[in-house]
Amino acid sequence: MDTLPVGWLLLISVAAGFVGAMSGMGGGVILIPALTLAGMDIKHAIAASIVSVIATSSGAAAAYVRDRLTNLKVGMFLEMFTMLGAIVGASITVLVSPRPLFIIFGVVLLVVWGAMYLQRNVDWEPAAHVDRFSRWLELKGCYFDQAAGHDIHYEGTRAYLGGPMMFGAGFIAGLLGIGAGALKVLVLDLGMRLPPKVSTTTSNLIIGVTALAGTSVYLAAGLIDPGLAAPIILGVSVGAFIGTVVLVRLSNMAVRRFFLVVLLALGAEMVIRGVWGNL
Amino acid sequence: MSKASEPFVSVCGADESAIQHMMETMVGYILQVGVMISAALLVAGYAWRFLATGHLGFDYTIAGMNLYDFAMLEVRQVAEGAFRPRLLVSLGIVVLLLTPLVRVLASMVFFAVVARNLKYALFTLFVLTVLVHSLLVR
Repeated sequence: MDTLPVGWLLLISVAAGFVGAMSGMGGGVILIPALTLAGMDIKHAIAASIVSVIATSSGAAAAYVRDRLTNLKVGMFLEMFTMLGAIVGASITVLVSPRPLFIIFGVVLLVVWGAMYLQRNVDWEPAAHVDRFSRWLELKGCYFDQAAGHDIHYEGTRAYLGGPMMFGAGFIAGLLGIGAGALKVLVLDLGMRLPPKVSTTTSNLIIGVTALAGTSVYLAAGLIDPGLAAPIILGVSVGAFIGTVVLVRLSNMAVRRFFLVVLLALGAEMVIRGVWGNL
Repeated sequence: MSKASEPFVSVCGADESAIQHMMETMVGYILQVGVMISAALLVAGYAWRFLATGHLGFDYTIAGMNLYDFAMLEVRQVAEGAFRPRLLVSLGIVVLLLTPLVRVLASMVFFAVVARNLKYALFTLFVLTVLVHSLLVR
């Protein structure tokens, strides 16, 4: 494999971290297509990306946990499932040839594009009924909502659905080396009826352990190269940090339109390369 | 509930136990400190490398090592006082990988000893066992 100069690695990673943080998609979704376009082998790109996911998600999770927005019990229950999913997913990536990986990655990008395109802002309502299993898991919580100006009480429900669905989200994360935060939020939001703020922050906590589980498989397979991983970890973290600072200043609509175009282009490009490309 | 004329005072803390707050603070600081130490080591390694050689590239492999071998290699180098840019970068990666692991370990101990929540102590023990096996044993 041709090694990319470190300068390039840093530049691509900063850009990916920046775009990832601003869009809320995470760095990997942009990073992996960009690295493969620059000539890196897709498995090494996936392995390096999932290590960088540990850094960005842990950094964000630290702040959210201390803001008391994260539901630790929901996180630590679901982590069991995402962890196993990530190990299975990463083991498949290690075994298969690059071509299907390109195609799956492209399809996942297009699905995320579809989800973002169709996204409507539905107001959150507390679960009407909480099943016995979820009650046994003690998924109650409460946080102070700054915008609403009062406390929000909630209780997670349908944990029997959330667990298996989280295995799927972890599987995609391990398979493709991404945080798959969008999928996790979907499970927490729609599946378990948690308020949006609790969903995003709790998903961040889960992503760290999920990414570590995936990393363990790539490490054992010898796919993690410190000379490649280190600049990517640094770059993505710096980019994500700048992204969260800038995010506040840009208008939401412009940002969203830009990402929808980027996502569509990258998704289509990955599928096309997977099908016809000279890999 | 507060009256409309008064500023709202959050009462989440009242029905959330003090134990839960302790745990949130603990988890938050473990993640924060782990990520900061890791980033500092990586930056220091790259800065040193650049000042010493004028370029940034590192070319070494850890193929065939699990996290235990990788970490032990560095511990030996630290013990020997063999500090060099590469060691700092490797340590940065190891600290990053250990951060979520330490978070899970600390949560398990907290659930078992402080919160006395057997259910969650077992959940976190399961996560810890699988991660330790996957990272350190095979």
